[in-house]
Amino acid sequence: MRRLTVKTLTLTCLAIAWQASAVSAQPLTGREIMEQVEDYQLATSDSAFNRMQLSTCRFGISDSRITCAERPRVKALESVSKNYGAEGKDTKGVTVVLEPAAERGIGMLTYSYDDAERDNETWLYLSALGRVKRIASGNSEDDSEPASVFGSEFTTEDTDTGKLEEYEINLLEETSEAGRDVWKIEMIPNEERARKSRYSRTVSYVDKERWVPLRVEMYDQYDKEIKRLLASRVEQVNDVWMARSLTMMNLVSNRLSNMAILEIHLGVDVEDEFLTTRTLTDVAFREAELQELRAQVD
Amino acid sequence: MKAALFTAGSMLLLLCPLALAQDEPLVIGDDVTFDPNIGFDDSLFADPFEETAADSSDNWLDDFTFRISQQLSAQLHEHEIGFGALGTLPKQSEIESNRLGLNVRYQNPFAPGWLLQGSGQYRIYWPEDYEYRANGDSIETEGRINELFLQRSFSSQSFKLGRQTVVWGETVGNSVLDVINHVEFRDFSIIDIEDARLNQWMLVWDYFGSDNSSRFSTFINLYPEFNPAPVRGSPLFFDPGYNLPDYDRNGKVLLEAGTQYKRSSEGSDIAFMAAYLFENQLRYEPPAPGLVDARPEINDFLLLGFSINRAIDKLLLVFDLAYSHNVLADSFAFPGTTSLSAPVNLRKDQIGSSFGFEYAISNEQSLSLGLQAQKLLDEKEGLEPGQSLINEGVFGSWLMRYSNSLRNGDLLLSSTLQGDLQADSVLLQLGLDYTLDDNWAISSQLMAISASSDSQLRAFHQDLRLSATLSWSF
Repeated sequence: MRRLTVKTLTLTCLAIAWQASAVSAQPLTGREIMEQVEDYQLATSDSAFNRMQLSTCRFGISDSRITCAERPRVKALESVSKNYGAEGKDTKGVTVVLEPAAERGIGMLTYSYDDAERDNETWLYLSALGRVKRIASGNSEDDSEPASVFGSEFTTEDTDTGKLEEYEINLLEETSEAGRDVWKIEMIPNEERARKSRYSRTVSYVDKERWVPLRVEMYDQYDKEIKRLLASRVEQVNDVWMARSLTMMNLVSNRLSNMAILEIHLGVDVEDEFLTTRTLTDVAFREAELQELRAQVD
Repeated sequence: MKAALFTAGSMLLLLCPLALAQDEPLVIGDDVTFDPNIGFDDSLFADPFEETAADSSDNWLDDFTFRISQQLSAQLHEHEIGFGALGTLPKQSEIESNRLGLNVRYQNPFAPGWLLQGSGQYRIYWPEDYEYRANGDSIETEGRINELFLQRSFSSQSFKLGRQTVVWGETVGNSVLDVINHVEFRDFSIIDIEDARLNQWMLVWDYFGSDNSSRFSTFINLYPEFNPAPVRGSPLFFDPGYNLPDYDRNGKVLLEAGTQYKRSSEGSDIAFMAAYLFENQLRYEPPAPGLVDARPEINDFLLLGFSINRAIDKLLLVFDLAYSHNVLADSFAFPGTTSLSAPVNLRKDQIGSSFGFEYAISNEQSLSLGLQAQKLLDEKEGLEPGQSLINEGVFGSWLMRYSNSLRNGDLLLSSTLQGDLQADSVLLQLGLDYTLDDNWAISSQLMAISASSDSQLRAFHQDLRLSATLSWSF
């Protein structure tokens, strides 16, 4: 349950609506498409206030349909984040577990730094410990093994952005996916990136109109598909196209996780003081601040 | 008895295969159909979007969290412990605890900047539980309030009044600075100090720096309490031939107070603290002639402390330093033991340190080590000829923990090793926690103790304990 930031969650599923105008008449390359997607995503990740539901289960295929083979584990999360730094590429985020009851109140504060030389910082509040605890969570995403996001099939590698220069990006074809026109784009990590990645390549299906990856296939070193991401409920929120339901299927463990973004509010006024360890321990302070955030969006 | 052991053992065995994972990727054929929207049916998880609209109304029950648990534990190894001329102590293979528990937690931020929080527990001790036996073979019950405080936070300040804990120090498990709250190690079902701390009536005032990266935290303990004596009948109880009563204040007002300044910077937290405290452990003088109650004595002392941590990649280094002025010289600090030895009634200064590391081997595995070392200053001073202290030279304990999280965190395997610096004893604990679903969880522990004749844990040498707890949270 490490290093979850709203940045990493929202960056994956957000795209801006006005980008149609940015598309030039000449055909785009795969790299240009992914750069465009990422630019829009970065521009929309700032000052976000989210409520999410994270469901995980073991799945099977019955009558050619995917089904949960067990009762899903469900986590309800509330998170607030804000970007910092000269280019807005550093992120501070707080995430608090609302459900299940056994984990209610567990809070996590993460400072993610874009600079690979700076270690990310994570603090966790566990009521059993009675205090905030700094977590040894490793270096920035580039150097460490991808972390599971709150015990789900999503990892930081799946939800992270950036470092496109470390990939060979090929536009394979223009096709359709779920009735939408998409670009089918292959990303192959270079040698250095491959050492840090679980995937030998990924194939993304990017909605040509809404710039949302609708489907992503992840392959291992033997070129077997080991994970698949499916996006649904693509909606426009505050002029932003986003997939509000993301499902990550782990084809090795036969487990899947669905991330449903129940509420998302962008551009809210987040006080810097809120994104500190005080928010983890001082519940009265945290709730008062959250109430102000809710008042902004209601 | 056999049924209980079978149940507990089965819980461990049944859960082991769950850690096995499938190796070959599943190939999803083209014939597999998905939701027309994009290929996945959100209804697998009900419909969270619909539920949000339906659940938007506030329910006062939402402020409560309940946990009902049934615990069973047993000492498995039938053996005898020799005490030389004093004879032997037979250890039976028997159930030690068989109890049903209800834990309730309430947290209500009822107005902006206000919080009311409380928690309590109620226990029913079934037949074969030591509390049942101690109660004359009848069902015993027990309830208590753990937390109960009102908090008011505004701008850069926060006040908390009520029953609460204050935790100092960075070393998890055996910090020399984690001495504010008293603790209760009633039996071997609780050996972690995180679970053994008891709340006290305090007023806590926090003042935060301009960017909340620094904090002054000051507490006044309005009613200092002391480690309870072992409950008669518990595995940790040894009949000294007289009663071990609580301290009688006799109208005397006792207060503790302390303050801590803590500052966070990139990669590190640092804190300084000072406090006036009473030692949590009571000292018992033998009863006056003709009486059956021992005479508990209290001791106040001053504590100065310093703590720091430093995160380096996947490594977290922690360090605590404590200087205690006027502690009683016969004190020792191994969890689960109490001071029944005849005191020498000398007050001395003591310096102590706890330090160690936590290392994230991977995202699922972590390893931590903590050492606690203490030394009385001028330890020979004031001793009569032939008199010696219980703890001479450097004394203390060590603790090592390893954990491995599997199946999206649903299955947690852990092991704990702890012992004293003199290598007189070692305690091994293997743990297995499995979350069955959002409500049900099961945990199981296997614990073994080895102790030399010089150890405070001598009476538990070669004990082997197995316990299992099934809990339902909602």
